Amino acid sequence: MALEHKVRGVDHAAFPTFDPAGTVRFYRDVLGFPVVHSICAAGWGPENHPDFIHFFFDIGNDDRIAFFYYFGLEPQHTHERGDVYAGFGPEVPEFFVRSRHLAIHVEDDADLLEYRRRLDDSEWPVEMQIQHETIESIYTHDPNGYMVEFTRAMRPVTPQEDLDANLTIDALLDVVAEPDPSFGKLLARKAELIVARAADWEAAREGAQV
Amino acid sequence: MTALYVLDVPENTTVAKVAAEFGASVGKIGPYFEITADGSIVIDRRATGCRHAVWYSCIAGVSGGTIVQHDKNALQVDPA
Repeated sequence: MALEHKVRGVDHAAFPTFDPAGTVRFYRDVLGFPVVHSICAAGWGPENHPDFIHFFFDIGNDDRIAFFYYFGLEPQHTHERGDVYAGFGPEVPEFFVRSRHLAIHVEDDADLLEYRRRLDDSEWPVEMQIQHETIESIYTHDPNGYMVEFTRAMRPVTPQEDLDANLTIDALLDVVAEPDPSFGKLLARKAELIVARAADWEAAREGAQV
Repeated sequence: MTALYVLDVPENTTVAKVAAEFGASVGKIGPYFEITADGSIVIDRRATGCRHAVWYSCIAGVSGGTIVQHDKNALQVDPA
């Protein structure tokens, strides 16, 4: 049986910043995300923790993005690539550097274009607008170098895509449990799972609808 | 027999349609198209009208064969 799914989205995702002024300009003044919480904390504890401000912006749905600004803390790396949390040398491929990002959901095409307009009028214009498989997204980097995506669904997700996702993950777990995992091995394993399970899934679903 | 599985969602329907036009048999197993052929399965990307993000993620599974081409021009699965 599946475990009961009781969580309710993102409370907050937290990131360090060395540029609180730019961060507030970007999230509050350019994007219009309200400041909804902040903590002014004197440093304490065993690690010479600096005094800090922990501040939060509403990203919709009562979810929040939060930042730590530490008084007196110098940047922790000197790499030009990456963000203020993690820097990368020239040996690290670009796709890897760009892999970690925050994607914020918007309702529709009009709202996506509204955020595009706000960004394009700012110091942080949209760098890419891409139609993926079933979503369309815009991307920029915030003043801290964190990649931020805004995305809208081009159509609702269908039930068969949930089945497909689960078959993919089961196939992936089987493939990575063996030496030398590859895309070809995953597709071969997934074909076996489709043959074993897809017909029954559809029959069970039709039965549930009767 | 070479079999290529493609999930039946709106973006992928032309993949199955073009495969059939190029001689493959197209059936269904659950919500998947089951595209089969005794020899190679060849699908022309431009004929499908799929944009790249759809094209490069349209394959759900392959049995009895090996993908020998999957680029901006075509997808080809040859018998193993």
